Amino acid sequence: MVFSSLVFLCIFMPVNLFLYFIIKDKTWRNWVLIISSLVFYAWGEPVWITAMLFSGVFDYFNGLMVEKYHGTWKAKAFVALSVAGNLLLLGIFKYSGFFMENINALFGLSLPVPRISLPIGISFYTFQTISYVVDVYRGEVKAQKSFFKLLLFVSLFHQLVAGPIVRYSDIATEIEHRRVTPAGFSDGVSRFIVGLGKKVLIANTAGELALTFLNTDYGRLPVTGAWLGILLYSFQIYFDFSGYSDMAIGLGRMYGFTYKENFDYPYVSKSVTEFWRRWHISLGTFFRDYLYIPLGGNRRHLTRNLLVVWFLTGLWHGASWNFIIWGLYYFVFVFIEKIFLKKILDRLPSVFSRLYTLLVVLIGWVFFYHTDMGQGLRFLGVMFGKASAFTNSEVSIVFRSNAVFLIIAAIASTPLAVRLFNAIKACFKDNRARIAFMDNVFRPVINILILVLSLAFLVGQSYNPFLYFRF
Amino acid sequence: MKRIRLDAIAFIVILGGLGLANLLNFNKPTVSTLENRMLKDRPSLTWSTLFSGDYFRDYEDYYSDTFINRDSIVKICRDIKDSLSLNEPGVTLVVAREQNAPVNEAPDTVPAPDGQIPSPATPAPSQDPGNLPGTQEPPDNEHTSEPVPTTTPAPEPPREFGEDETVAYYLIVDGKAVQLFKFNRESMDYYAEVLNKYHEALGDKVTLYSVIPPTNGEFVRLRKYADITDSQNDAILYLNSRLNPEIITVDVYDALNRHKDEYIYFKTDHHWTALGAYYGYRAFMEATGREPVPLDRYETVKVDGYLGSSYTKTLNKELEKNPDTIYLYLPFTDHEYTMYNGNKAETADLIDMSYAEGSSDKYLIFMSTGGATWSVIKTDVHNGKKVLVMKDSFGNAWVPFLLPHYEEIYVVDARFYSKSSTGLNIPQFIEKYGIQELVFLFYMEDVNWAKFMNGVENHLK
Repeated sequence: MVFSSLVFLCIFMPVNLFLYFIIKDKTWRNWVLIISSLVFYAWGEPVWITAMLFSGVFDYFNGLMVEKYHGTWKAKAFVALSVAGNLLLLGIFKYSGFFMENINALFGLSLPVPRISLPIGISFYTFQTISYVVDVYRGEVKAQKSFFKLLLFVSLFHQLVAGPIVRYSDIATEIEHRRVTPAGFSDGVSRFIVGLGKKVLIANTAGELALTFLNTDYGRLPVTGAWLGILLYSFQIYFDFSGYSDMAIGLGRMYGFTYKENFDYPYVSKSVTEFWRRWHISLGTFFRDYLYIPLGGNRRHLTRNLLVVWFLTGLWHGASWNFIIWGLYYFVFVFIEKIFLKKILDRLPSVFSRLYTLLVVLIGWVFFYHTDMGQGLRFLGVMFGKASAFTNSEVSIVFRSNAVFLIIAAIASTPLAVRLFNAIKACFKDNRARIAFMDNVFRPVINILILVLSLAFLVGQSYNPFLYFRF
Repeated sequence: MKRIRLDAIAFIVILGGLGLANLLNFNKPTVSTLENRMLKDRPSLTWSTLFSGDYFRDYEDYYSDTFINRDSIVKICRDIKDSLSLNEPGVTLVVAREQNAPVNEAPDTVPAPDGQIPSPATPAPSQDPGNLPGTQEPPDNEHTSEPVPTTTPAPEPPREFGEDETVAYYLIVDGKAVQLFKFNRESMDYYAEVLNKYHEALGDKVTLYSVIPPTNGEFVRLRKYADITDSQNDAILYLNSRLNPEIITVDVYDALNRHKDEYIYFKTDHHWTALGAYYGYRAFMEATGREPVPLDRYETVKVDGYLGSSYTKTLNKELEKNPDTIYLYLPFTDHEYTMYNGNKAETADLIDMSYAEGSSDKYLIFMSTGGATWSVIKTDVHNGKKVLVMKDSFGNAWVPFLLPHYEEIYVVDARFYSKSSTGLNIPQFIEKYGIQELVFLFYMEDVNWAKFMNGVENHLK
């Protein structure tokens, strides 16, 4: 199930909220969450829910063992077992087909290529359980003694299918004790609605329009069409993913969990390094804490460490060469920035550094979108003038039909709206009634509007693809 | 802040309320009159649909399809989108997508209806939804139905038809919808290849004709946007150069171009009107060296208020305000029209007025849907001439004009013909009935769509 489906919104969520809040007992509440999470997952993945349950049992056991043998080599062995087991699970489901294809291509063989469909969310929950076992080993958290509480962490439907990658340490105390206040619940709802609006109103619309230019014969795509297409795709992917993260964070708050932020307006970044500090933060910090720093970080083998991290970041996004190239592409920019470019960028007016970053990111999405590298290069060629025409009527009609939409999407990619809201509140300084009006009437009314519009568009568009299912 | 906020209250009330309203709405609609299609049925729960995940996917489609007040909500969305457009009034580009496509339909299940609503008067039995004819052409129709014989459950292996992403682009200018044509050389070559194969298989005994009606994109004045759609005339010229010279190419394009200011295409539907089809028929007569019957020999009937496929796909307001009128030319030749569905034969009206009423797609009037496995018109013209027309829905308006010239007219819709119910491939079919002429009449979008032509090729085997 995905959050932006009518079944989730009108059936699952009301039933779940009702059961959760009618029950006061903590243990039973956790049961409500576990059972509904399993239903939620099984709705989309009726068979491979077994893989997730396996991951849960496996790392429950590993966590206990690591703690039991704390300080001995055995603890290390169980960490290794956990990492190997989870990566094996991920490898089988996600990469075995890709691996065999490459073996075949490399050695001219024709071994059978397994075609396994990717279980939903496996890229996320395997990383979550790895982080749990490693954190136990590092002594940052205590091992969870109750299997069902660990299962709650692994299966929690808020972040199960599309992240953010929540660490056990972030919510360890909230699994045991959490308080839901009316204010917290309301904040959660607001956040959820914003995410829903991002996904339904912006990402889906942009995705539909992007197809006009990306799903076409590049031999006849004009230059402006390619740029408009990749811009729309950039909106689609950002609002899709960050909208989903917002919904997850919002849901968490509604039930008393606090998840960390996953996106921080990445498209306003002034360098590629900064972009990656603002984009999919939970993935970046995962690689930082569990790979980059253990490898030696900035102190030893910097180039190798960066290369490994970016190669794997690319590969994590999908079992295909274009994702690897996309990752290595970022390695190049992050590396150059580390050596000298960052110093120059810092001195430039921010307009230039922002444009530079946007350009790098837009071109990055070209690699990301095209699983067929030849097509990707052809598309890049069109962007930079190797096209039959500079522009045509189709582009100008699509542009004008959607200019207002594009402006809204562009503004929503920046913190402008939030800043404006806060600035207005700041003007009211001591007038508490007015500030209360802004917080308790104005903003909620905007949210209700977004909710109603999103529901209408969900009914109106049966087109509701979910991009991050690939990961 | 001690109390729960306004938006949180609204959130619970709205979602819970909608959930309850849908739960208590027992009379769920099964058709959308707005979109002119069958809505998704409640999926049946079996172990196999459960484990494959189909049950859940289908349930989600079913839920949004039967959502309370869906039709009005869809229209509100359209109005919101329209209001944001900065284009000059009257010009809109709509990216239309097939709505009723099941995500993963098992190949052995009965195919979903071909995007059509059966008229209450449809004789088609309810267990045979697959045979509802398509007036919506393949490029914007995700899954072209398998023919399902009425008596036997689809025994034929599924053909590779439409599984690719199906997006169609409509430009709406001054209340007329134009589906944009994108020339695809490979598809064009494939069309020529398939027809040449037919020629090879049939030899000299059968005369082959290639009749290709363009879409209205060629004739509607697109103001300054003319470059948005590729030239179909160029495409036809290209094709003619690839076809075996013994296949007679009929210049429908020129015939229509000479009358481009007349009402030869619908504004809200992608088909030609009967008048357009008549000019197409005249071009055919010219190519065969016969004298066409003048139009005033026909008694005409008028059907108002037609909103066709282009409207259904785009829900465009300009189209909604300007519905089409269908002019029908009633055949004067005595004839009997028999439609074969599987092994079942039924006589029908060539101009079937039962489709003129209600909310059904009124183009289905022509040849009473034209969607049989195969059909035959026997006339009292005792000249011994027999023709087979292999067609798509454009043929439905065209075939009735042939009556004065043939004793027997066989009609096969490339999408619905099935060897499994006749036991004959097309060359055998031609042999069996002693047919001398074979006409291919597919409109340009089908010619340009390899998967459609693949179906045509399969009928050779």
